[in-house]
Amino acid sequence: MDLIKNKKILIVDDEPEIREMIERFLRREGFFRIYTAGNFSNALSVCRSEKPDAAILDIMLPDGDGFSLLSSIRSFTDMPVLFLSARGEDEDRLLGLGLGADDYMVKPFLPRELILRLMAILKRVYASNIVERLPVFRLGALTVDLDSAVVLREHKEFSLTAKEHSILMKLYENQGRIVTSDALCQAVWGDEIYGYENTLMVHVRRIREKIEEDPSNPVYLLTVRGLGYKLMTQESR
Amino acid sequence: MDGVIRILRRFVGSTILVSFLLLLFNLVLLGSLIFQENHKGPSPEAIVQKLANELVLQQGNYVLGHEGIQLLDTHQTWAMLMDRDGQVQWSERLPEDIPRSYDVTDVAKFSRYYLMEYPVYVWEREDGLLVLGYSKNTYGKYQIDFLVEWLRSLPVRILLLLLCNVALALLVSVLIGTRVIRGIRPLIHGIHALSKEEPVQVDTGGIFNDVSQSINSTSQMLQEKNDALKARDVARSNWIAGISHDIRTPLSMILGYASELEDQPELSAEHKQQAAIIRRQGERLRSLVSDLNLVSMLEYDMQPLQLKSIRLSALARQVVSDFLNNGLDESYDISLHVMDESLIVSGDERLLYRAITNLVQNSIRHNPDGCKIELKTGPADGVFYSFVVSDNGKGIPKEELKDVILLPYTSGRTRPNRQGHGLGLPMVERIAKAHQGELILESDRGEGLTAVVKLPASKVGE
Repeated sequence: MDLIKNKKILIVDDEPEIREMIERFLRREGFFRIYTAGNFSNALSVCRSEKPDAAILDIMLPDGDGFSLLSSIRSFTDMPVLFLSARGEDEDRLLGLGLGADDYMVKPFLPRELILRLMAILKRVYASNIVERLPVFRLGALTVDLDSAVVLREHKEFSLTAKEHSILMKLYENQGRIVTSDALCQAVWGDEIYGYENTLMVHVRRIREKIEEDPSNPVYLLTVRGLGYKLMTQESR
Repeated sequence: MDGVIRILRRFVGSTILVSFLLLLFNLVLLGSLIFQENHKGPSPEAIVQKLANELVLQQGNYVLGHEGIQLLDTHQTWAMLMDRDGQVQWSERLPEDIPRSYDVTDVAKFSRYYLMEYPVYVWEREDGLLVLGYSKNTYGKYQIDFLVEWLRSLPVRILLLLLCNVALALLVSVLIGTRVIRGIRPLIHGIHALSKEEPVQVDTGGIFNDVSQSINSTSQMLQEKNDALKARDVARSNWIAGISHDIRTPLSMILGYASELEDQPELSAEHKQQAAIIRRQGERLRSLVSDLNLVSMLEYDMQPLQLKSIRLSALARQVVSDFLNNGLDESYDISLHVMDESLIVSGDERLLYRAITNLVQNSIRHNPDGCKIELKTGPADGVFYSFVVSDNGKGIPKEELKDVILLPYTSGRTRPNRQGHGLGLPMVERIAKAHQGELILESDRGEGLTAVVKLPASKVGE
C-alpha cells in the first residue's frame, strides 16, 4: 500500500484554492510527491519533466481544455487520469471517459470520495503485477472461495457452478445491500430479457444448500421480498 | 393535396351546373325573344285556310265573307282563286303586276317561294287553288328538306349534341380549374406549412400575388419570432448552467473543508457538529444546483433524451432497493406492488430513476413523522403505462395541487413554496412531459399523496 503513496500525483486546476485543498487532502492521506499546475502549458511541461504516475485534471483551463490536455498527455504516456470538473453534463462525462480517462468526478465533491477513487485507480493500474485474485470470505464457520469456486465447510468442499459463482460474486460485491433480482439476472445472463426470476430462485436455493446451515431459514443469503437478495457477511453485519 | 382535389371537384361541378343553367336559359330566351316575333297574329297557313273556308260560290260569283275581308285588311294581304286551268277566277286587292293566268311551271315555282317577289301561301280547294299573297319583304320563305333517315336519328343527334356540350363544359372547367388550382396550390401548401411553423417561400406573382406576399411575410415573422424565442431559451438555459457551474467551485471548497473539519480528531464535539451542519447544507446546495440545471434544461428542451427500453418493475425494484440500502428511516414503510412484469417503456433511464426517486423523496420530506409509501406499476389507459407512488401522509390541500408542479418563483405560482427547495415535483412533471407522458397528482389535506406518472408504452421490438 505504501508503494502507492509513493506515486507522483499531478493536480491541474485553474483555481489555486482547489489545488491547495486537494493537495492538502492528498498529503494527509500520505501522498508526498505532489505537483500542481494552473494551466494547460504548465501541466504539459510538468508531465514531460516529472513524469507523474497519475493526474487529476480540471476541464476548463485558461489556455485550453482538459480534453485536449488529456489527448496531448496520451501521446507520450499512459498514466491514469481522473477528471474533476464542474461540468457535469452527460456528454462531458462520456467525452472524458471516451478519451481514455479512468474516472470522472463532478464538482462539488467530497474529498473522501476523491481519495477513494484515486486510490482505486492507482491500485488498479499499479498493483496489476500481483496476480488478481477473486475474494475469499467467511460466512460463519464456512469459507467461500470465489477464486477457486468452492465452499469449504467442515473440511468438505462443495464446488460452485458457473451461475452460482457469478450470483455469489455479484452479491459479495454488494454485501449487506439489496441486489435486485433484475440486477442479478443481468449479471448472470447478461441481457435485458426478463423471465429468469424462477431460474434465479432455483440457483439461489442450490447456493443456500451449500452455504446455509438450514437452507429453509437462511441467515447469510437473505431474500428481500419482491426486490431481490442480500448477502450478509461478517463485515456487513 | 386532398384539399386541392376537393376544390377542383367543387369547381368543375359548379361550372357544369352553370353551363346547364345557361343552356336552359338560352332555350327559354330563344323561344321567347327570337321566335316570338315570327308571327304577328295567326300564321299565314292559318289565314289562308280560313280564307278558303270563307270564300263561297254564290250564284256563279265568288263572295268573301266579312271576316275574310277584315283578315285581308289587317294583314295587308291580297288573295286570288285560280281554277284548275290556271285562270284567276276571283281576286281581292290583287296588285296590278300579278298576272291573271298561270301554267303548271308558274304554279310549281310560286307555290313554294314567291310570286313576283310577293310571299304567297296556297290552299287547295275543290274548285282550284286559293293563293294568299303578302306584301313584298314581309315574309322570308325557305325550303328545308330532310332525309327521313336524318329525321329519325334526330333525337340521338340532339342527345349527342348535349353530351358534347357537357363534355366541352367539363373540359373547359377542368382546364380553367387546374389553372386556378395551379395558382392556389402553392398558397395552400404555404398555409399548411405555416401551421407547422416551417419556413415558407411562396412564389409571388400571378393573381394571388398579394396573398402569397402575406404568407411569405407571415412565415418570415414566425421564423423570426421562433428564432428569438429559441435564442432566449438558450440564453436562459446557458445562464443557469453558467451560474450552476460557478457555484460548484466555491461549493467544492465549502464541502471539502467542512468534511475535513468534521474528521479532525482534535476538534471538540460541538465544532465537529457545526462542521457537519456546514457539510450537510453544502450537500443540499449541491443537489439544488444540479436540480436547477436539470430542470432548466428540461424546461427549455435542451436535454436530449437517451432513450432505451426500460422495464418499469425493474426500475421500481431498483429505486426501492436503493432507498433501503441507503438506510431509509424505519418510520417509513416502503413497499412495492408489481402488477405486470412485462411493462416496458422507452425512456431515459437516468431521468426516470430521478423522477421516481424524487417522488419517494418528496413523500419522505413532507412526512417527517413517517408514513407508508407504496410504489405500483400498472397499465394505465390505452397506450400509456403508469407508475404510481403513493403515501398515506398528510397530503397536499387540493387547491395547492396545481401549484406544486410549477417552478418556484414563476408567475403562475401563487402560494409560497412549501418546505424543501420545491424543484422535486416540477422536475418530475417535466421529466414525464419530456417522455410525452404526464404527472397526475391526487391528494387532499390528510389524505396522503398519490402521484401517477404516465409514460407511453414502448412498442414491442423497439
